[in-house]
Amino acid sequence: MLAIPGATLSRWTLAYFAAAVAFLLLGEALMVLGFGYPIAGLRAPQTLILVHCITIGWLSLLMCGALFQFVPVLVAGPIYSNSLPLPALLLILGGLALLIASFLQLAGVLPPLPAVFLGASLLLGAGFLLVLWTLGRTLAAAWPLNLPAQFVSIGLASVAATVSYGIIFTLGFGGYSRSPLLLGIQAQGLPLHVSAGLGGWLTFTAIGVSHRLLSMFMLSPELDGPTTRWTFRLGTLALAILVGAGTIVVAAGGGPGTVLVVAGITGLACLALYGRDVLRLYRQRVRPAIELNSRMAAVALAHLAFATLLLSACAAAGVVRQYIGPLLFLIAFGWLSGLGLAKLYKIVAFVTWLECYGPVLGKAPTPRVQDLVVEPRAARWFWLYFAAVDVASLCLLLEAVPVFRVAAAAMLLASAGIALELVRTRRLANVGEELRLPAGAQQPRLLFTFVGN
Amino acid sequence: MNTAAAGLPAERIREALRLVIDPELGYNIVDLGLVYDVAVQGTGDAVITMTTTTRGCPATDYLRMGARDAAFSVDGIDSAEIILTYDPPWKPKMMSPEAKAHFRIRDE
Repeated sequence: MLAIPGATLSRWTLAYFAAAVAFLLLGEALMVLGFGYPIAGLRAPQTLILVHCITIGWLSLLMCGALFQFVPVLVAGPIYSNSLPLPALLLILGGLALLIASFLQLAGVLPPLPAVFLGASLLLGAGFLLVLWTLGRTLAAAWPLNLPAQFVSIGLASVAATVSYGIIFTLGFGGYSRSPLLLGIQAQGLPLHVSAGLGGWLTFTAIGVSHRLLSMFMLSPELDGPTTRWTFRLGTLALAILVGAGTIVVAAGGGPGTVLVVAGITGLACLALYGRDVLRLYRQRVRPAIELNSRMAAVALAHLAFATLLLSACAAAGVVRQYIGPLLFLIAFGWLSGLGLAKLYKIVAFVTWLECYGPVLGKAPTPRVQDLVVEPRAARWFWLYFAAVDVASLCLLLEAVPVFRVAAAAMLLASAGIALELVRTRRLANVGEELRLPAGAQQPRLLFTFVGN
Repeated sequence: MNTAAAGLPAERIREALRLVIDPELGYNIVDLGLVYDVAVQGTGDAVITMTTTTRGCPATDYLRMGARDAAFSVDGIDSAEIILTYDPPWKPKMMSPEAKAHFRIRDE
């Protein structure tokens, strides 16, 4: 019999979550105000501000915060550093602020300041490098990696690729690139940047983490069979084709069309296998009554399935370019943000419980994690969120911009409602008076976690 | 492990361990089947062998310390050692009939 040390709490995960939610609300508010797409074009500087508020500010910070807490769970070992995530967060936030300033300069709102392009690249590069270093060292210490951790490692390689493309573009905008190779990537590499970010970093990592979280929260058998291994192999192959072959082709001045089709077909096979695994997780669960987070994750997964079918149909009909805006919106908000909000709702309660009640376990009666939340109240916000996303996607498809802004307002309202529920959880506002703060328990802070080690 | 010979103190420890809940499932670790063995050696040295629902669970250290504190709170127990094991891994079928009924899990 072996004694295995338990994973610990991540000190700065809550700060990542708070910043992430702030950027989600900001992004949604910009859509309500008509800033960027669909009023502006997809490549307009205003749209780039909106897109990066959502992809870096919301989704990437959310994913980084979640990984700092859950990579130690996946590998059953401690995080490499509980301090480095804070400077990483500050660097990413600083870099994102400069990136927004760079786009405002491109839009003509700010006067020319070439240093902002360089500063954005340096700060974002350094911030993500620190994230990769911290998570990479944590994974390396647990070699050989189990399957969920292998998914995360490919996700981390994808964020490295995504950020590298982004830095090449930003330096190009600032006039720093003169190399024909880099100019080739800048001219044709946008689909690679988007696919590596949404597909590799966010979706592939979410696949790996969701395997484990869904089986943990629903008491389903853990997935490590051939289907899951092939999901990993095909996804890795798709990303290798995308980033490897894609970069070579665009650096040589070619278009990435063929590479995108081959990687897309491989990625489709990966997603089909993932879908099979997910159905098995839900069907073979031991716990018949599942919690809100698993129900809402199922809704997000349905959006992934729908978006994948739609994208495949558009690709088959040769009209991807025409509908890429609504498709990316559905992936970003129906799938990634939907799953993110669902898991955030669970993780905040779980981390708060561990921080507040873990130290008094065995000494005093403690509430359950479920006692920290009020699911029926939160469920209303979640349903409003998904309904609003669906209406907004439809409006983008039909080019009904005024209705889109109303739907975006509903998304903003629903997200704010969910955010408020998270604050209530953190403040222990839903816990009955008699169990709220037993002797020895500490009221949690909003933005960081008390960590004993 | 000599559970049978432990007699009454082991039962009292098991009762005390019911104060420790698995935070995710919201049920005590004894009825969840997470406590594999309770032995009392010598005059009052408790040795508890337990597991967690999932390997690497962030609550592991808290569950271990909680079990130790709960055992230590029993009269006549001078020391409590917790052995954490994943052999065998925990399965939902290890729950008590009451716990299974609580989670609406069919008793096989």
